[in-house]
Amino acid sequence: MGKLEGKKLVLLGERDGVAGPAMEESLKNCGAEVVFSVTECFV
Amino acid sequence: MDLQNQQRVKDAAEKFGAENIVVILGSSDAEGAEIYAETVTNGDPTFAGPLAGAPLGLAVYHILEPEIKEEADPDVWEDQIGMMEMVLDGEALANAVKGIREKFSKYSL
Repeated sequence: MGKLEGKKLVLLGERDGVAGPAMEESLKNCGAEVVFSVTECFV
Repeated sequence: MDLQNQQRVKDAAEKFGAENIVVILGSSDAEGAEIYAETVTNGDPTFAGPLAGAPLGLAVYHILEPEIKEEADPDVWEDQIGMMEMVLDGEALANAVKGIREKFSKYSL
């Protein structure tokens, strides 16, 4: 069982770093549920 | 952190239980990562948002930390994150978030 199995994920992405959807895609088969995913940007 | 997102983190912790939440950051710089990590563990350090005075103690990791990378699909990781992994200082980001986690998180993986 993976460490993230059964967990609820909050993904706080950043436009100049790793964006929310990229994290979501990479972790979609890890057994955790993404509760919400955002990509913040700083101007 | 955006005030609306602070509220969403707070709502998620109330709804699902703080012990079940794992916050994963995609921040590009260590200083920003520390502020995010502090906000979801010890409360909003600027005292501006819904998490001011709300030390949730959530488990928080940077996406480039080994604990998270090893849970990801390796092919998808390469496609989606591989490029930013080369550009960003993963070690500095991981150390920044780890430092805050060890100080303020009540939960970890």
